[in-house]
Amino acid sequence: MTAFSLTRRGVLLGSAAALTMTAAAKAATLAEIKKRGYMTVATEDDFRPFEFTKDGKPTGYDQELLEMFKTKAGFEIRQDIIPWTGILPGVTTGKYDAAVTAVLVTQERMKTLDFCSPVVESVDYYLKRKGDKKIQGIKDLSGLPLGVEAGSAMLKMLPQLDDMLKATGGSLGKIVSYQGYPEAYQDLALGRIDYVVNVWLSLQTIAKEKPDTFEVGEAVSKPTYIAWPLLKGNTELLALMNEFLLGARKDGSMYALQKKYFDTTYEHMPEAPTANV
Amino acid sequence: MGNGDYLALAAGAANTIAVSVLAIAIGTPLGLGLALIRWGQIRGLDSVVAALVSLLRATPAVTLVLLVYFALPTIGLELPRFAAGVATLALGSMAYNCEIWRAALLAFPPDQLDAARAFGMTRGLRLRLVVLPQIARAALPALVNEMTLLIKVSPAVAVIGVIEATRAAVRIGAATYNPIPPFLVALAIYIVVVGAFVATQRMLERRHRAGLFA
Amino acid sequence: MIPHGIEVLWEQRDAMLAGFLTTFAIATAAAVCAGLLGLMLFALLISRVRAVALALAWLVDLMRCVPFMLFCYLIYYGLPSFGIVIGNLMAGIIALTIYNAAYIAELLRGGYMALPREGIEAGSAFGFHSWRLLLHIILPQVLLSSIPMLGNQMVQIIKDSAFLVIIAVQELTFAANEIQATYYVPFASFVCAMLLYWVLCLAVEGGVRAVLTMAEARR
Repeated sequence: MTAFSLTRRGVLLGSAAALTMTAAAKAATLAEIKKRGYMTVATEDDFRPFEFTKDGKPTGYDQELLEMFKTKAGFEIRQDIIPWTGILPGVTTGKYDAAVTAVLVTQERMKTLDFCSPVVESVDYYLKRKGDKKIQGIKDLSGLPLGVEAGSAMLKMLPQLDDMLKATGGSLGKIVSYQGYPEAYQDLALGRIDYVVNVWLSLQTIAKEKPDTFEVGEAVSKPTYIAWPLLKGNTELLALMNEFLLGARKDGSMYALQKKYFDTTYEHMPEAPTANV
Repeated sequence: MGNGDYLALAAGAANTIAVSVLAIAIGTPLGLGLALIRWGQIRGLDSVVAALVSLLRATPAVTLVLLVYFALPTIGLELPRFAAGVATLALGSMAYNCEIWRAALLAFPPDQLDAARAFGMTRGLRLRLVVLPQIARAALPALVNEMTLLIKVSPAVAVIGVIEATRAAVRIGAATYNPIPPFLVALAIYIVVVGAFVATQRMLERRHRAGLFA
Repeated sequence: MIPHGIEVLWEQRDAMLAGFLTTFAIATAAAVCAGLLGLMLFALLISRVRAVALALAWLVDLMRCVPFMLFCYLIYYGLPSFGIVIGNLMAGIIALTIYNAAYIAELLRGGYMALPREGIEAGSAFGFHSWRLLLHIILPQVLLSSIPMLGNQMVQIIKDSAFLVIIAVQELTFAANEIQATYYVPFASFVCAMLLYWVLCLAVEGGVRAVLTMAEARR
């Protein structure tokens, strides 16, 4: 090791890295999927009520829609349940053919991903501890520490909240980025942060599960849509999935699932996903 | 904690043991292979191995597992989740084991090698009959120590979604907001598993010192 | 693919650098604290009072069975059950300190056991007792012989700091993960992080070599 200089080591490793970086895994087209017989999808491990585990089985709004798609697809669907930070990179690098998980449609994301027809409408809200008198309205959020999921659209949309706070003379407090929302909710209960920003549908669920600990506040973002992303350009697979999703709207099964998980239905969503953010 | 929780923890423990045992089984012989390459002083490979070992020994398990699972597919190397976890732990262990084996090889008395050569033994025979049995005994305590370190670093695979013992305990705590009971159970699991390895290591050290080995 | 990855990384260099500096700061703070705490634990470990030595030995053995990640979660999410709520950065440094102090105490003890008895007995005969014996006779020798292993422990602290990503500390691995999750450049991001960790560890190794040469020169 003593005779080995740093520069030689660096050159060796650098050239090794360069040599291996040429090929990128490609997501499979519909024809390839049909040929090999299966499609790979990624799902987040705990994002209620869209996807979560109950008694060891994956379940949730997205999961049940996926089960319906499986019966109509005609090929096997191999699902990988992984942390959020791996999902979008997994789709853009071709590791997964699609992400069947709650992904907010943003203009930034539409540059590298093609989204299916929206599965639900979404607004970000804040969640606070029940009975926390410090927070009566949005302007009270100024300067308080908040929790949000790392690398998420909710994090990206915080500037909208910042604008709202600035209008009343305040500003955004410290942002703590968690690897997943369960840890954020735990810290909210413990008092390390004063509010959590997440999509209203998820906050409703946690507030219902723990009504003595949490309560939902007000909207902190403009409405946007949640849809399943595919790698840009995978047009035939996109068409197949859209066919299924729009069919599920027509025969009411999507709205029935929405009623089941969200207590409300979104019957006026556009057929094509659009981004307000 | 309900029955479902205990089952989840048991499943987590099974994953911890499975991932650790497989990584140990792969990393220990690979480390020997690398050590032999360096010992043989093969021109070009020697430097590459030295660099690789140095890099792997400096990389945290969490960072490495994220790289193996999320980054390698972009260059064509796809591994399913469990295998990625095993591969990561094996890679880290392999690097440390290389140094352990190398230390044993370097301490090997050269006169035995000369004697073996004088008797006309080929390189392969020398290695298999003279060198390996003795360095295996000499390196054993350090290797077992490295195995306990591997088990203690195994929770790193949780960040790519493998539900091992620690992650199982954390999930229960995050749902019930009463994290102490599952944490204590997970702690007990590790004490038992690591304790078994440490006890083995202590026994091996005592036997080694007592001179029961050549 | 290379150009895109490196391009994004260069744009995000501030975030990556911030993560790197956080790792450096945390590791340094933890190393200093763990070193001091480890010294104190070591003194207790070799205490003449059997009860103290045994209790400490048992505690150190217990710490060496615990995975650091579990210990981290215990400090961060477990302590609040006892009314102690600490922020994530503090919790991380405390976890690193306590965890590594146990290892340092144990390796110092190993160094102590390997010391030739005559030196210590001579010191005793000359009137050095208890803590003065410790400070002037035992510690210098133990520390000197333990330098390489202390260097190893420092590397371990740097590597363990990566686990703090799970309690939302924005250190190097967190920074790399957030960049790749937002810009979809996992290979460039994590390789960059790996290389930065390598730089830190090579610095520690260089430091150990420098200290050893200085020690040799002084002898």
